[in-house]
Amino acid sequence: MVKTEGSFAVEDMKNVQINIGAVIKEEDEWDQEMGPYPKPQVATLRDWDFKIVNRYRIFYAPADDTCTLCTFGPCDLTGNKRGACGIDQAGTCGKIVLVAVLMGTCAHTAHGRHLYHWCLDKFGDMPFDMGSDILVKAPLTESIIGIRPKTLKDFGPVLSYCEEEITQLLASCHSGQEGSYIDFESKALHSGMIDSLGKEICDMLQTVAYDMPRGDPEAPLVEIGMGTMDQSKACLIAYGHNLAAGAEAMFYTENNNLWDKVDIGGVCCTAIDLTRIAEGLGNTDIPKMIGTKAKVAGAVGWWRKMVRAGIMDAVMVDEQCVWCDVVRDCEPRKIPVIATNDKIMYGLVDRTNDPVDEIVSDLVEFRVAGVVVLDPIKAGEVAVKTALQVKPKRADIKDKLVLTEEEFKKFLDTCTKCRQCTYVCPPHIRISNLIEEAIKGNLEPFSSTYEVCVGCGRCEQACPQDIPILKLYEYANRDYIANQKFKMRAGRGPVRDTEIRAVGMPIVMGTIPGVIALVGCSNYPNGTKECYDIAKEFADRGYIVVATGCMAMDMSLYTDEDGKTIWEQYPGGFDGRNVCNIGSCVSNAHIHGAAIKVATIFARRNHRANYDDIADYILSKVGACGVAWGAYSQKAASIATGVNRVGCPVVVQPSSVIYRRAFLGRTDVPEDWKVIDARDGSLVQIEPAPEHMLYVAETKEEAMLMMAKLCFRPSDNSIGRMIKLTHYCDISKKYFGKLPDDWPIFVRHASELPIADKEPMMRELEEKHGWKIDWKAKKIVEGPIRPADVSFDPTNLPRKIRAKKK
Amino acid sequence: MAVDTTKNPIPFEMAQIPGPEMAKAYATKVIGSIIKKSKRPLLVVGAELFDDPVMFDKVIEMGKTGIPIAATAHSVKGFVERNYLENVYQIGLHPLTNYLRFEDWKGLDGQGHYDTVIFLGIHYKFANAMFSALKNFNRNVRRISIDRYFHVNANMTFGNLAFSPDDYHEAIDEVIAILKK
Repeated sequence: MVKTEGSFAVEDMKNVQINIGAVIKEEDEWDQEMGPYPKPQVATLRDWDFKIVNRYRIFYAPADDTCTLCTFGPCDLTGNKRGACGIDQAGTCGKIVLVAVLMGTCAHTAHGRHLYHWCLDKFGDMPFDMGSDILVKAPLTESIIGIRPKTLKDFGPVLSYCEEEITQLLASCHSGQEGSYIDFESKALHSGMIDSLGKEICDMLQTVAYDMPRGDPEAPLVEIGMGTMDQSKACLIAYGHNLAAGAEAMFYTENNNLWDKVDIGGVCCTAIDLTRIAEGLGNTDIPKMIGTKAKVAGAVGWWRKMVRAGIMDAVMVDEQCVWCDVVRDCEPRKIPVIATNDKIMYGLVDRTNDPVDEIVSDLVEFRVAGVVVLDPIKAGEVAVKTALQVKPKRADIKDKLVLTEEEFKKFLDTCTKCRQCTYVCPPHIRISNLIEEAIKGNLEPFSSTYEVCVGCGRCEQACPQDIPILKLYEYANRDYIANQKFKMRAGRGPVRDTEIRAVGMPIVMGTIPGVIALVGCSNYPNGTKECYDIAKEFADRGYIVVATGCMAMDMSLYTDEDGKTIWEQYPGGFDGRNVCNIGSCVSNAHIHGAAIKVATIFARRNHRANYDDIADYILSKVGACGVAWGAYSQKAASIATGVNRVGCPVVVQPSSVIYRRAFLGRTDVPEDWKVIDARDGSLVQIEPAPEHMLYVAETKEEAMLMMAKLCFRPSDNSIGRMIKLTHYCDISKKYFGKLPDDWPIFVRHASELPIADKEPMMRELEEKHGWKIDWKAKKIVEGPIRPADVSFDPTNLPRKIRAKKK
Repeated sequence: MAVDTTKNPIPFEMAQIPGPEMAKAYATKVIGSIIKKSKRPLLVVGAELFDDPVMFDKVIEMGKTGIPIAATAHSVKGFVERNYLENVYQIGLHPLTNYLRFEDWKGLDGQGHYDTVIFLGIHYKFANAMFSALKNFNRNVRRISIDRYFHVNANMTFGNLAFSPDDYHEAIDEVIAILKK
């Protein structure tokens, strides 16, 4: 059923108006009945959440031992004590987790709300057209809300649903409301699901309105890197996540034939989205392929580095992951700032209603450091004009941005090796050691740690000598910055139904060993290169590798021996041995969408308003694992939690412990690993697959081993299990020097052993683990947790039982 | 003269100030003696051992005194390369800490829970958080750090020795000597 809203007046009846809230008409094109849970509320899917947390135990590592959220505080909660309001340490951790996840959810949903209004204002309502290869067009909206949007306006009620749920969830965080950590986590999972829906709304709106690629595996290659910004032109940077104003700057540049004078680059996800514009169906008035004219200056971790490197003349900021000191950083470098979204206004004067030329004049003459312009069209014009006019005025200062050799050496000499910088450095770079080497003339340590530095600048604040440490980095890496020029495949958007039809069975059977999703931000424990290493490892092994956001950008910065980036080494399809850039962080919704599509297109499960059924299918049968190796913001927390609720595990980097919570399995408790066989309702003891739901790895080597392991599913057939086990064992031998200790628990049949090591492994099963082997038949007679059973139909939902066990 | 491991007792990440209960820095002879007296100690090591490979040899020396070793991250590779796997168990720090918080866990060898964990060579922030998990949710496990960092969520720790590798090596040698007595 769909609803349309409206009101009308009856002719000849004075002062009478009949208002109709909604006209309900039959939805006849969808062959699926409405599922059990349309628009699930806070408690609706609680049973599903409890299934997750009963198997994957909630684990907290408190970041602090006190609570200071109300006037009773600070309360000492050390040792799980209770505070004055009655909440214990676990409950407080759960509350903080929920608040963090809600922050991320709000960011994505509010982004969607802004785009909804903006796109309808600018383009009017438009058909929700995802092209002929995508019929399951909005998998999350369909699974959660139970509707199929036909136009952009249909996303309005979906947004309202998200906003209502967010309000209810945030209310539960007030003192004297929820107190149970388990229920906080159920609420966090609910918020994570809403987050995924908010992201889908965002990306669907912009994909249609800005005609972005609809799952195009051959989306164009665009330029990425600080060195791609053409310094002979006026350089404008659009920084954040919301493309509205940046796109208008591009349209203004196009309409006024200014591309030979202006270069526009993006930072963070705005960059990815600008480079996707008008690369889709060609059904809008936007100039075709205009997105390829924009550049990706870099991911968020590069922001402060590029300010200091002097690659921009003006910057427009929109929303999310925009550092709070942008004006403070830009003002002394005479880089005018245009704030374009009411979520970030920096205390600047709102000039939205002023004439363009007056605003530009104030910026170009440096009478103000920045302005707020909330009309994207006006902001785009102001930004381009400002960049053009300020460029000549910045010539003097631009030359002074990077240190001279003399200045560099002078600062080196002032270091007293007090080490205060290292005590505050997130990746703990031994900065004084770098300085010590540089004094000897060796700049290599400054170079090799440049990508490890997250550019936070805390070191400069801590330095009692006021050494501009980031500037030292810029000087030492000035050649690298000028030559940081690579290619990135533009975000392709959703996975096509046709691709799912091709890979659905291999994924569920395990013959494609897994889907590896690299998502999230730029706070890597050991530098950007690890993004490339992880992606390449799994692509070479035949996994489907998908990427979004900062990880997609950062993995672009490396090449193979032939000088090819990862996007040039592998095709961009959703298939084994492919690497696809799905898009910006709101495009993460399409990764959920792909998993949902496996359930509904390949397995023909009804997904309409049937979220827990689909999540159960994914948990049991879709071998996929996310990795947020640079997880930094609360959006990373909400993204991971949403991925968990849909039944998919996630591995994160070690600093992610600051978000306190993990979901970890206990392999020593067999009762935790029992599932229902949907064929007859019997309970079956399974191997721990997947073993964990949210896992912190200390190193990329550990992360890769765990990711391979977390792609195991009970549904793997024997060939699939053999392939997965082969990769699991091979990664372990490659990086750990030995087989993993737990490999036997994944073996159900001799045919599942890696071919190259089959005999020695069978011998180990017999001698070390006491299994019975029939050597003549080369069969396992006794030992596995359960036998291989190709028709086994695992589920965690009693309602999926087809026939009761006799 | 013994190395002073009580110097510089500030969190290696300065802003790690968890609350009213914070670690104290102890001399090697105190920490060594406490480890030696433990009934079920577990030495937990991480991938930072690769940054200072001699530490693998020192950890093996400790292992040879009978203390089992949990090799977290991919540190087990260092033990494989040194052909020492006698009492080395490969496990991630995260699942290990998860097991440690449950009283019914039977240990890596199935012989029972541990009364003391000793961390070294582990990513600072990760180790700090895992100490916090035990501090808050299983206080029956004694938390000792013999890493080169002052670990505020441990019961007992060295002060910061991160910039004094020679002193740190000497401190570890002193602990080993006590364990061998």
